Amino acid sequence: MSLTVAVIPAFNEEKRVALAVQDALSACGAVVVVDDCSTDRTNQTAYAAGAYVLRHVINRGQGAALETASDFAVRNLGADIVVHFDADGQMTAADIPYMIEPILKDEADVVLGSRFMGKEVENMPASRRAVHVGARLFTLLMSGIRLTDTHNGFRALSKDSAKKLRISLDRMAHASEILDLIAARRLRVVERPVTIKYTEDTLEKSLKIQGGSIARTIRIVKDLIKKRLIG
Amino acid sequence: MIFQFGIVIFALLVILRTYGQYKKELVSRYWLLAFSLLWVLIGVAAIIPHTTDDIAHFVGVERGADMLVYIAVLVLLYAVYRLFVRVQKMHEEITELVRQIALASPKVPVKKGERGE
Repeated sequence: MSLTVAVIPAFNEEKRVALAVQDALSACGAVVVVDDCSTDRTNQTAYAAGAYVLRHVINRGQGAALETASDFAVRNLGADIVVHFDADGQMTAADIPYMIEPILKDEADVVLGSRFMGKEVENMPASRRAVHVGARLFTLLMSGIRLTDTHNGFRALSKDSAKKLRISLDRMAHASEILDLIAARRLRVVERPVTIKYTEDTLEKSLKIQGGSIARTIRIVKDLIKKRLIG
Repeated sequence: MIFQFGIVIFALLVILRTYGQYKKELVSRYWLLAFSLLWVLIGVAAIIPHTTDDIAHFVGVERGADMLVYIAVLVLLYAVYRLFVRVQKMHEEITELVRQIALASPKVPVKKGERGE
């Protein structure tokens, strides 16, 4: 029996993280939450919901939190499959069995969730759609991987690929970095349709934290260029 | 004239200060020599300005002062680049440190049965 562990980076998600943990536990053997120096009760809430909780004493961003969580899942819990999951309830754990299926069958090393493969996207704003079209083109040019959806946080990784994909970009550009690494390590990658819910609550949050799609995109591209120049 | 005089005094002070730091073993001998040489050259350029013009002509720049500005810009750009790389490296080290601290003290969930629920 293989162990699937969901890893959830969380920064000030006390309202939503418990639901995400409980949801993920319904499909995974264990859940690891990395509390990225939250100032609210994210840590306690996630723990009470049944997750392993690790705390970053300084906020290091989503990429860094994911890496910490994967590290813990593989090395300390002996996970066979690591699933990247979201703290804010945008993803649904009902998709996890479909996500890990190709890895269990040894048909893929990495499975990426896609919002644009059949399943319906609920309430995605037009501005965000436009950004995604640009991101797909950018990824095709930079990594040479053709995907229907490039910046979906829903991923499933086999143990070995999780070890090979060491994320070094701390903030949001890790999504592109992961794609680069998949290409560089020649991992087998497939996409699976997933449902992503855009609720008013989460949209408002991402606006507050990141300053909207455009500003966020600029920041991601900046991080990536930096990485290419000096990395 | 005052400008030239000021630069020479300043150059001397810098060299003296660097020598003092070298004596206290705060900077390396290499740094002392390189930095002193730089300020000696600056002093010479201030006292006999046409030396820089001669060098400038030699490398194909019209005026010595222009050449100095070009060099200064390049040196500063390089310094900024070095700092940038160093800051980036420091960020990665901080992340690694934070990660190790996090990994060292995980909160392990209590299984439902064990809690008596």
